[in-house]
Amino acid sequence: MSGIIAIVTQPPAEGLTGGDLEALGGAAALAAETGEPLLAAVIGHDVGDPVAEVAERGAERVYVADAEHLAAFSGDAVVDAAAAIVEASEASTVVVGRGSNTLELAPRLGARLGGGCVMGVTETRANAEGGFAVVASVYGGSARAVYRLSATPRVLGLSPGLAPAPEREAGRGAEVVAVDVAAPAEERVVVDQAAEATGPRLEEANVVVSGGRGLQSGDNFALIRELAANLGGLPGASRAIVDEGWAPSEEQVGLTGKIVSPDLYVAAGISGASQHMMGCSTSRVLVGINTDRDAPIFRYARYGINGDALEVLPELIRLTRERAGG
Amino acid sequence: MHIVICAKQVIDPDGVNSYALWGQLEVDESGRAFSTELPLIINAYDDQAIEAALRLRDDGHDVTITAISAGGEDVNQLLRHCKAMGCDEIVRVDDPDGPPDAFRTARLLAAAIRDLGDVDLVICGRQSSDYDQGTTPAALAEMLGYAYVTVAFDVRVEGERLRIKRATPLGEEQVLASMPTVVTVSNELGIPRYPTGRGMIQARRHPATVRTPEELGVEDGAGAELLELYIHEVAGECEFIEGDDPAAQAAELLSRLEAEGVL
Repeated sequence: MSGIIAIVTQPPAEGLTGGDLEALGGAAALAAETGEPLLAAVIGHDVGDPVAEVAERGAERVYVADAEHLAAFSGDAVVDAAAAIVEASEASTVVVGRGSNTLELAPRLGARLGGGCVMGVTETRANAEGGFAVVASVYGGSARAVYRLSATPRVLGLSPGLAPAPEREAGRGAEVVAVDVAAPAEERVVVDQAAEATGPRLEEANVVVSGGRGLQSGDNFALIRELAANLGGLPGASRAIVDEGWAPSEEQVGLTGKIVSPDLYVAAGISGASQHMMGCSTSRVLVGINTDRDAPIFRYARYGINGDALEVLPELIRLTRERAGG
Repeated sequence: MHIVICAKQVIDPDGVNSYALWGQLEVDESGRAFSTELPLIINAYDDQAIEAALRLRDDGHDVTITAISAGGEDVNQLLRHCKAMGCDEIVRVDDPDGPPDAFRTARLLAAAIRDLGDVDLVICGRQSSDYDQGTTPAALAEMLGYAYVTVAFDVRVEGERLRIKRATPLGEEQVLASMPTVVTVSNELGIPRYPTGRGMIQARRHPATVRTPEELGVEDGAGAELLELYIHEVAGECEFIEGDDPAAQAAELLSRLEAEGVL
């Protein structure tokens, strides 16, 4: 078995984003590490443009499952398609990037294919003594675990930021293999009310201002919203205050929330537990505001204000309003 | 309706986090476990899995709830907690020295569930707070051939199906799932209830049913082999913005951020 295959599911026609690019980047790095060919799977409906993009980003062979029943994510249908592709490709290693459905797709595929699956992969050690190994983030980011995955095909769910996707090389072609996949006989899980995407996405914001317990009450989350708006960004929240009901769960940043990577991340009244930092530690400039000078947030922060978020936020709001000419 | 809860005993994640931050978390000689003494608790998401099952009982459905955990005798404490919460039966798959391999655990749980025979719904926590993998419930669904729904925060019976509200990155999604199903629950479900005094007394008198992998016919298979754990260090290089008052600090911060080109 040979080949490292990146799985791309339901890609937008206008270009690959987020987890799909991460999958390609991780797979390309692993292909270089092992000397195995870089392959890709594109699963969805009307995926001509993404197939071309995957080829331009260096895939030697692109397996395509293009069917109406694959237009939206359905675990049963996508796992069937991905399993059929992996078998046809004879790949040794399957790479899945972080996306809204990764938590279902990667481990189900791993169990279906039988080779084992590790999620949250931060590093690959393909040529380790004793065989193929990976490093994964565990204990909410406090520790790392090294796993050996001896059997193939193995499935890796990546942590964000493992390796950048190869740049596009205009006009580069690849062998395209169409794989026929039938719709599952029975639709066991039917979406009755889809989640409606409203407004811009936190994952794509250039600026994120997040609040934590240091806000002291749900009403003070308004300060986070106001500063985020003044900076042209979006509000985020720690899990603690989502559990308190101060902010909706869609705004949660962290291991079990969203992974963001903005140019500027402001953490106000957030201690910086590793579970939260897993969602924002790849931000370009991180600012921490906390009354505790020893708070872990300051280990990750580029700039820190050792003070009360409830005193600092109103000043930042006032000054940014003036800057905006308001 | 027969509901199975899969529960895992974990090292208190807040304890791990705190010790790690203060540089006092240490790995033992085996390299695969912490030597730092920390309390063992039920994985918090699994507590919410029990809560989800109890809410179906609160809704007036005739439910039998069986909690299953794989491990040595130390998980009896966890199973007693499940019983005290309101689970009817508790089952331990005896696996005292089993490696922390999700697919192995899934094989053990799947065999125990098949052995029960008439299961309609399996509820698991979305992931365990030790290894954060979230792979066991997915593997369980594959091995049992059940439907699979992740990150639920509300589970109701509607006719022959389940209506499940999911916490997706885009917001709430509702799905209808046929049974049998494996459902994972997320923290959005809300705070689980406390065991009652009566429940705790009953739990003390109710030993777990013990099944062995041999009885259940579980065979070894491929998975992920844990070789080593190590502590992830974070290098700090924070520049503190000093100033006479919050207004001065705020102004200084904004000018630094402008200089960085992020504003």
